[in-house]
Amino acid sequence: MSPVECDFEADVLSAVMQSRWPEQTDSSLVTHASTCPVCSDVVAVAGVVDESREALRTEAHLPDSGRVWWVAQMRARREAAKTAGRPITVVQVLAFACAMGLMGACFGATSQWFQSALQRMGAGFDVQQLMAATGTAITEHGILTLLVIALMVAIPGAIYLVVVRE
Amino acid sequence: MFRDITYSDASRLDALDETHTKFVMDEDTFRAFYDRTARGVWAYLARVTGDRQMADDLLQEAFYRFLRADAEHDNETHRRNSLYRIATNLARDARRRSLVRIPALIGGDDIERVAGRCNHAGETETQTDVSRAMSRMKPRERAMLWLAYAEGASHREIADVLGVSPDSMKSLLFRARRKMAELLRGKDGRQ
Repeated sequence: MSPVECDFEADVLSAVMQSRWPEQTDSSLVTHASTCPVCSDVVAVAGVVDESREALRTEAHLPDSGRVWWVAQMRARREAAKTAGRPITVVQVLAFACAMGLMGACFGATSQWFQSALQRMGAGFDVQQLMAATGTAITEHGILTLLVIALMVAIPGAIYLVVVRE
Repeated sequence: MFRDITYSDASRLDALDETHTKFVMDEDTFRAFYDRTARGVWAYLARVTGDRQMADDLLQEAFYRFLRADAEHDNETHRRNSLYRIATNLARDARRRSLVRIPALIGGDDIERVAGRCNHAGETETQTDVSRAMSRMKPRERAMLWLAYAEGASHREIADVLGVSPDSMKSLLFRARRKMAELLRGKDGRQ
């Protein structure tokens, strides 16, 4: 198995990176590198990679540090606002669920009237009868009926406002 | 009317708790750090991804993630390694996303472009050789060689940045270096 390191590797690398290789380097080190597989690879690779770095660095068109900072600030604030908005959305969903539950309760409370109204409608649609039934419902369950109507208007309105603001 | 009494988007953003936008350093420190490191990180990203435009995008992302990282840095080296680690992960993710279109490292037109911008004939040839050789290596090997010989990173630092075991670093670097040396010599052999 061939060795993966050599004691002289650091010296060779140092000479190559400082552009001392091979003229200004001890001849024994140069001789060693010509026979050592590790050091000869270092000579072949290190110098050209370093040169490539210098060439590539000049190609970079970097944004100004102040601009990068400003963009990062804006992005962080935007993300923070988004994160802060998440609990509000949860509350809105909960409120919607509560409203739906309340509506269900209201419906349960008025279901007898509703079922009888359906039966009457099934027996034959009569406008006068329907008006009478509605009047009865309002007089008997006035608050609940008004609450249901208010919720039916308020919930779509609230959803619309939320969607428009987002 | 309702809208008049609510916060505007800008004021709402200003009103946010500062802890939500906390960065690991203040503006002056960041700007100095950016000026010292950005060019090197860009070159690293350009080499590893093989795409200058991607390097532009990833550079800003890398600095942003660095700023937002919940990390404490003991010194400049630690800070720099942290930035390179973020850049490495971003390059890897970007490569996975665009595997279909990934070109050879600074390959094809890019090789000629790099070559064309170099004034010295010998330098031009060297750049083209390096680009071609690098384009035939794996991204991790490219990253490894770049960190070792362009950034002067130690084995431990390279292992830290690439997320590999420090114990295996020597042999991994040896194999990558050998492969690149053979690719470079292969060109010489044909002439």
